[in-house]
Amino acid sequence: MTHSNAKINRLTPTNEDTLGPYYPISLCDNDSMDMTEIRRGIILEPRGEKIVIEGCIKDINGNLANGCLLEFWQANADGVYRTPLTETHPKLDPWFNGYARHRTKDGNFSLKTIRPGVNTDLDHPRAPNITLTIFSDGIMRVVTQLFFDGDPANENDPLLLSIDKNLRERLLMKPAGETDNGLKIYKIDIIMAGDNETPFFDDLLS
Amino acid sequence: MTRYGRQIEIGPTDNTSNERTPRNRLHIIPEEARASFAPYAPYNYGINPGEADMTRLAPGRPRAEGDPIKVIGKITDEFGRPIKNSLIEIWNANKYGRYTHIEDHSGLALDPNFLGIGRTLTDQNGHYEFWTIRPGAYLARPDINRWRPKHIHMSIRGGSSRLITQMYFKGDPHNDSDPMRILMGDNFDKNIGIEFETPDEDFNCGYKFDIVIGGRNPTFFEDI
Ligand SMILES: [Fe+3]
Repeated sequence: MTHSNAKINRLTPTNEDTLGPYYPISLCDNDSMDMTEIRRGIILEPRGEKIVIEGCIKDINGNLANGCLLEFWQANADGVYRTPLTETHPKLDPWFNGYARHRTKDGNFSLKTIRPGVNTDLDHPRAPNITLTIFSDGIMRVVTQLFFDGDPANENDPLLLSIDKNLRERLLMKPAGETDNGLKIYKIDIIMAGDNETPFFDDLLS
Repeated sequence: MTRYGRQIEIGPTDNTSNERTPRNRLHIIPEEARASFAPYAPYNYGINPGEADMTRLAPGRPRAEGDPIKVIGKITDEFGRPIKNSLIEIWNANKYGRYTHIEDHSGLALDPNFLGIGRTLTDQNGHYEFWTIRPGAYLARPDINRWRPKHIHMSIRGGSSRLITQMYFKGDPHNDSDPMRILMGDNFDKNIGIEFETPDEDFNCGYKFDIVIGGRNPTFFEDI
């Protein structure tokens, strides 16, 4: 699914641009920040432990970054991502897409989801993680992955191992109590720039 | 151990860019983790008829003020393969440079017949078409008299292809001082719509804006 070895007749990509401050809020009307509910009003649910991620996006001055468009992407309870290539995968969860999108007015977000699992069929299993893409005024797309503090799989995750130890800490979501109905809450602050800046990642093709 | 990617540049005279641009180089994604960085958006868009015609609020309603224009183009990956059934979200200011967005506090004139928000899908060959009003330039930073040139915002999302970009207009006097244009350098030409005539149609003119999604905006191909 990657094309890193094909180098012939490449077209020049169109420039990315910033989101700007006026991304239409109504375009997110059909988006949900509840990955556990693939359609509204049905009783079927995805496998796995329901959790809540609470976080915020902060700028270089420690202020909340308002107006960002956030996209979340994760594997299901067995560590399998839903893509066109996995539609017939035996461990695909029909009640889980793993995608959420949200335009944050004030820089805070809250995502209800299930804790992703580890796909042990892979040669290099990934630790449970959630991919976060941020679009914002003043900057093009930046992307990172968020992990669960204390998960034993973190020790062998190829992405965590690829960055310095002191930076890994900044990608860890920390336990922060429970919701009224008993779901575990995890918290993380994303720092876009400056002290304690969150590590962001780049594709080999760029 | 760590391998580094790009250093993102800070847009000149742009406060938000200064506040939000990472100061550290991006980290290269190890090969084993690359697949997981390509979100695959499910198809949950219910597009209503008329959403690609931004020149009216709905079919049969009066046309908005200003020059109606038609924008067409083809969306492909770097290898020229069409990106089909891809959702394009479009937003632009009205002829006076005002967005209908609740956070646009410029005080410029609103047009009750212009929403400035549209959506469409690419067809099987990656082609798209939408109609809008040629936007006005607007003064983005009154404190330093910096304008944003005329532009149309577009977000493209289909499968895992993901790009947010803007189409600009040739010859806009504010192009040269635009911070994003300055960052793009010579490659800015890729983001200018190519004007064409629309003799028998009810438009001021058309613009052709082909889009290539590449680089770190990975694309899933269902057919491979
Ligand atoms: Fe704009």
